[in-house]
Amino acid sequence: MRTRLAVAAAAAAITALVAGCTTSGGSDEPAQEADGPATLTFWNTGSDEHAAALQAVADIYKQSHPDVTIKVQALSWDDGHAKVLTAATSKTGPDIISGGMSWGIEFGELGGMLDLNTYDIGTIKQQTRPEVLKAITSSSGAVYGASFDNAFYLLFYRPDLLQKAGLSGPPKTWEELTAAVTKLKASGVKTPLVENWNTFEWLPWFNWLKQAGGSLYADDCSKATIDTDQAALATATWADQFRKYGVPKAATDSAAGMANGEIAMAIDGSWVANAIDTAHPQLKGKWQVAALPTGPAGAGTFVGGRIIGVMSYTKYPKAAAEFIKWTYTDEAIQLLQKEVYNRAGELWLSPRSDQLDTLNTTDNIKQTLATTMETISGPPHCKGWEVSQAEVTKKLQSVVNDNVDPKKALSEAATIMNNNLK
Amino acid sequence: MATPTTTAPAPGAPAAAGQGLDGVRRAKRSPELRRMRLRRALPGYLMLLPFAVLFVGFLVWPLLNSLYFAFTNYNGVKPPSFVGVDNFRRLWLEDERFRQALLNSFIYVAAAVTLTTALALTLAVAFRGTSWRDRIMRTLFFLPAVTSTIAVALIWRWIFTVEDFGLANTVIGWAGFEPVQWLATPRLTIPILVVMAVWGGCGYGMVIFVAGLNAIPEEHYESAKLDGATSWQQFWYITLPQLKPVTTYVVITSLISAFQVFEAVYIVFRGVSSVGGVQDSGLMLVPYLYDMGFTKFQLGYASAIAWSLFIIIFIVSMIQLRVTRALREL
Repeated sequence: MRTRLAVAAAAAAITALVAGCTTSGGSDEPAQEADGPATLTFWNTGSDEHAAALQAVADIYKQSHPDVTIKVQALSWDDGHAKVLTAATSKTGPDIISGGMSWGIEFGELGGMLDLNTYDIGTIKQQTRPEVLKAITSSSGAVYGASFDNAFYLLFYRPDLLQKAGLSGPPKTWEELTAAVTKLKASGVKTPLVENWNTFEWLPWFNWLKQAGGSLYADDCSKATIDTDQAALATATWADQFRKYGVPKAATDSAAGMANGEIAMAIDGSWVANAIDTAHPQLKGKWQVAALPTGPAGAGTFVGGRIIGVMSYTKYPKAAAEFIKWTYTDEAIQLLQKEVYNRAGELWLSPRSDQLDTLNTTDNIKQTLATTMETISGPPHCKGWEVSQAEVTKKLQSVVNDNVDPKKALSEAATIMNNNLK
Repeated sequence: MATPTTTAPAPGAPAAAGQGLDGVRRAKRSPELRRMRLRRALPGYLMLLPFAVLFVGFLVWPLLNSLYFAFTNYNGVKPPSFVGVDNFRRLWLEDERFRQALLNSFIYVAAAVTLTTALALTLAVAFRGTSWRDRIMRTLFFLPAVTSTIAVALIWRWIFTVEDFGLANTVIGWAGFEPVQWLATPRLTIPILVVMAVWGGCGYGMVIFVAGLNAIPEEHYESAKLDGATSWQQFWYITLPQLKPVTTYVVITSLISAFQVFEAVYIVFRGVSSVGGVQDSGLMLVPYLYDMGFTKFQLGYASAIAWSLFIIIFIVSMIQLRVTRALREL
């Protein structure tokens, strides 16, 4: 009896192993458009308020497309990435997702998302800024996720604190920035400058790289170009702000710091502009925003934000793609701006810069957003960057913490990136 | 005349004394007896069935799957492709981040387990009694063990935040020191994680030690006192040897949980740097596994890390058990 039980258990284990070996999550057949009314589930990465705003907009879409019902669900940034991967693996879950800018290429190349090129997205491509389009287009030319909204770095500041330190306005160049930090420190401001949004990682450093005229990869992704003189200058300058000027290496609440007068300037994500007045009403009218200071090569700002794409297993690819195309219309963008502002108190930054004028905000913010959008660059789409970025960040951090020569650190980073390109 | 061995006893009847072992074996094999045993055991097996199904479905099957994936290149969506031992070769021979994670893990485990065990034993000796003071103190020290690890990690992040409201910077500020970037300083990363582990783990160890201490017969101590043994001698020659099985349990459970640390690294250091902290100074095996599996979609490689972690914990536990046994035999 015992022997039989053992044999049965072993057989069950082998069956399970074989079943595991064949796991692929279902059919790899291309999705087919089902007939009749379509009900689409849309996982929107962001807050509940954003999901509610999008639901209101989707309900208006239904008025002109009665056969299409869209149910929007909020997906948190914390576990959204893993949940979308699980959906792609199990081939069950949403029809449409929105998420980080790199998610389109990531999930698309895994086979989890549809190439929107199949659904005539010429208009979307024309309306997307070239640098953003480059960042969301895979090396094979596929666009698995259209740009949904944009986020980029801005310089937030307290004009009164700058004035007290003898500064007439926000710094416009690297030199003016370091001079401003020194003067603000002398005037008694505890932390003249903070740098947020993936603080002390490659992302904020990328601004300095672009302002110095450097790049991460060659345009055709044939090799890493991180080890140039421009990149070394950017790295040295970026490192100096931590070592010489006391910029914190850990993320800080820049809005709270500006509210209590401890922080005078913050290089932070554009979404902060949405939250300052809501979280700190006493600051209303006391803060301003400017484009990032320029470097030897001019202006340059990293752009992120969300993509919107269609999962590969959906039964309604055409209906989903049509909805995505609709989100690029004037009507949809203005509805999104209004609903997101009303429900979340936030600004909806469409990838279409011509729609900035309709934002419910001050002229200073509108003007700064428009100026900055002219200088944005997206993350690289080259093979291996996702794996390389942690190593590159370590090399950059070693310049600050261990006084490693920037050229040496960047040369080591280039070797890692080139190895991962193969 | 039929021999006794060929005569089957009546169902359920004991084998006749003269039938010997063969008779007993045959009786056990009889279909009636088997059916009767099955009838008797069936309710038990039926009650076990839900657990068995869950056990196989949610433990055995995923384990076998992950073992298979460890030998494949698998991104979670496309079917896995078999790559033999490539994942393990890359992991152990080429991967610098894995080496860093391994080194960090061993340093962290050694420090956290030693300090947790020592402090737990000290607290148990100090608060082993039944007085209200001892009960309150035991409750206080045990609280972290029943508190959400996520909430605890967030509180530690607040304690060590760079901003002025951070408790650590506030306290050193009273003494006139400049604020420290606790979480962004690589040499402080492991000590901070060790402090968190000791704070969170010593209460649990203390409760186990208290149970062990109270199981030591009082006569041992009375005899020792009559022989003139000092308190230290009683602790060294009676308490510690008697606590060896308990100590082994506490050390092994602490060791396993220390090797599997995740939330502390993931939550506390995410405000400074992505998984692993600045320059991977706090990168441990499980956060690295998470990073490779769920950020980089290298699920086959992540499975290889998971099985490597299992092998490491298994070997270290075996060594620990062998050392304990050797000490007991001295």
